[in-house]
Amino acid sequence: MSQSSSVKLRTSELPISRLLAFAVLAGYLAWVMYPMAWLAYSSLKADEAIFLDAFALPPFGDLRFDNYVRAWDGAQFGDYFLNSVVVTVASVTLIVLLGAMTAYALSRFAHPLGPATFWLFLAGLMIPAQLSVVPLFFELRALGLLNSRLGLILVYTANGLPFAIFILAGFFRALPRSLYEAAVIDGCTEAGAFWRVLLPLARPGLVTVAIFQFIGVWKEYFFAFMFASGDGTGGARTLPLGLANLAITAQFRTDYGMLFAGLVIVTLPILAIFVALQRHLVKGVTAGAVKG
Amino acid sequence: MGVVPAAMAQVEISCLVKTYPDRTGPGARAVDGIDLTISDKEFMVLVGPSGCGKSTTLRMIAGLEDISGGSISIDGRKVNDVAPKDRDIAMVFQNYALYPHMSVYENMAFGLKLRNVPKAEIDTRVREAATLLGLETYLDRKPKALSGGQRQRVAVGRAIVRRPKVFLFDEPLSNLDAKMRVGMRAEISRLHQQLGATMIYVTHDQVEAMTMGDRICVMREGRILQVAAPLELYNQPADLFVAGFIGSPPMNLFTGTLAGEGASVCFVESGATPFPVTVPLPPALAAAAQGCAEVVLGVRPEDVQIVAPGTSAQAEATVDVIEPMGAETFLTLRTAAGSLTARVRPNEVVAHGQTLRLAFALDRLHLFDRATERALRR
Repeated sequence: MSQSSSVKLRTSELPISRLLAFAVLAGYLAWVMYPMAWLAYSSLKADEAIFLDAFALPPFGDLRFDNYVRAWDGAQFGDYFLNSVVVTVASVTLIVLLGAMTAYALSRFAHPLGPATFWLFLAGLMIPAQLSVVPLFFELRALGLLNSRLGLILVYTANGLPFAIFILAGFFRALPRSLYEAAVIDGCTEAGAFWRVLLPLARPGLVTVAIFQFIGVWKEYFFAFMFASGDGTGGARTLPLGLANLAITAQFRTDYGMLFAGLVIVTLPILAIFVALQRHLVKGVTAGAVKG
Repeated sequence: MGVVPAAMAQVEISCLVKTYPDRTGPGARAVDGIDLTISDKEFMVLVGPSGCGKSTTLRMIAGLEDISGGSISIDGRKVNDVAPKDRDIAMVFQNYALYPHMSVYENMAFGLKLRNVPKAEIDTRVREAATLLGLETYLDRKPKALSGGQRQRVAVGRAIVRRPKVFLFDEPLSNLDAKMRVGMRAEISRLHQQLGATMIYVTHDQVEAMTMGDRICVMREGRILQVAAPLELYNQPADLFVAGFIGSPPMNLFTGTLAGEGASVCFVESGATPFPVTVPLPPALAAAAQGCAEVVLGVRPEDVQIVAPGTSAQAEATVDVIEPMGAETFLTLRTAAGSLTARVRPNEVVAHGQTLRLAFALDRLHLFDRATERALRR
């Protein structure tokens, strides 16, 4: 009897609490999404329209797609985009690859210096990037790698490795040892067991690392500004640098339409990657949390 | 079945030692100088309580553990320093160790692919093994979509397709429920007969050991206590541990001394008054026990008989627990010294608290030296 009344009570409560939850979440969604939507539709407005009413939707008959053309061509976004793609893809690939190999070695082999090495890598997570910028600058200059894509790739890879090792070591530790043993008995070499059996099983972890590092490197400004903002047409400048340049020039030319278009160009790849891989990301983060 | 019999393979283990060094020194010996020869096509079961070194021994045969001392030969070739993949062995793990990202087919084909076996040959072998194990309809599934029993079959199938010289099983049934375990037990035994391969099987379950093994090797604390065929092990245990370990319910053991002389030597349970277990010993057994300060008498539950009042009896006991199993009934009886188990016919009428007079089958008694724990043989 009491049970049925409590059930009734709960069902009558349910819509209100759910409505409340929906209202809160909808509010939060609007709070997060509106600036992005505003950016997206403003990128299709002419400057005059932006100044006339900054928040109004663009007039339907007058969508300024040429903002994108100007950003891409005029502001050399094509070059920046290419630099960003090359630097990001190369860095993320190296981070995932080297990170997985290091994490595997650290979690699989009992070496007296293993724990110390692991903590040394973790220390990399705790050192602010700004501290390393001066020695890195001299290092890159000595190697002749300033204003080069390779220089940036090396810096980003080194910077991303601690995170990758931290996440992936947890994954490899959670894999049963017998899988490795089965692979070795089946005929794998040490490396074969890693590539054919254990690495594929760490895929959620690899995806997690790849997404976080992709976002991090794609929008990285500080190192790029320090090591790749030198003169020359294009050089190794990445999109965030281009964007900053655009913002500076836009101040004087008041070409906000182009600036917004540039921002959209920078944001879209991250959004696309995230949407494509978010299922794995959630899986990776929870699997790491439970098993790692 | 078109399964090709395995190659000749005798496994010889001599003076095998495994130590796990710790910071203070050489550390404990997990395997302490064992010698064992496993004949070609033999099903050898290594059994013992956890920590007895049976799994470590198996893993050394597989090449998954370094050998601290002694040697292992497979088919006449010393394999101490041979990589696992080159020992021509296959292993079935306790947790199956199937590759989660591969289908059943790929799991079974993996080892063959690595050995560059032609595709058509791989396909034939995998389908053959799948038929043998009833897995034909599951070949495209991933391991996570299979039940425990099916996973175990895949693990066995993965070993079969390789056609290795030696199959190694590391407690493969311990993750299955009781009913499935009985089924798989029979299936592995059947496979052994069909394949005619050398198999080494590790378990802590004496029932598995008794039902599956051609011979059983009982281990304890890194040493081998006895290697014998199942019934020999049951009927002639070499020492106290084997006597207590093999058989379910276990052998009843009484500690006592010998009394009397000449042709009428008796075992008298020590410390139990006023009704000590007193057993006249056959002369040969009495002779073997000469010189032992203290002995342990062993009586299998089926060798305990309930006798009518007035007839000669070796002990008196009250009924504590009655466990009807259907085909037989187990009685837990309380003597003055402790409890003892009897296996009686299901139609035996007994009641809780009833006092019974017990006689032991004198020709089937076991006697052990208390000090050395070794069996005293008649």
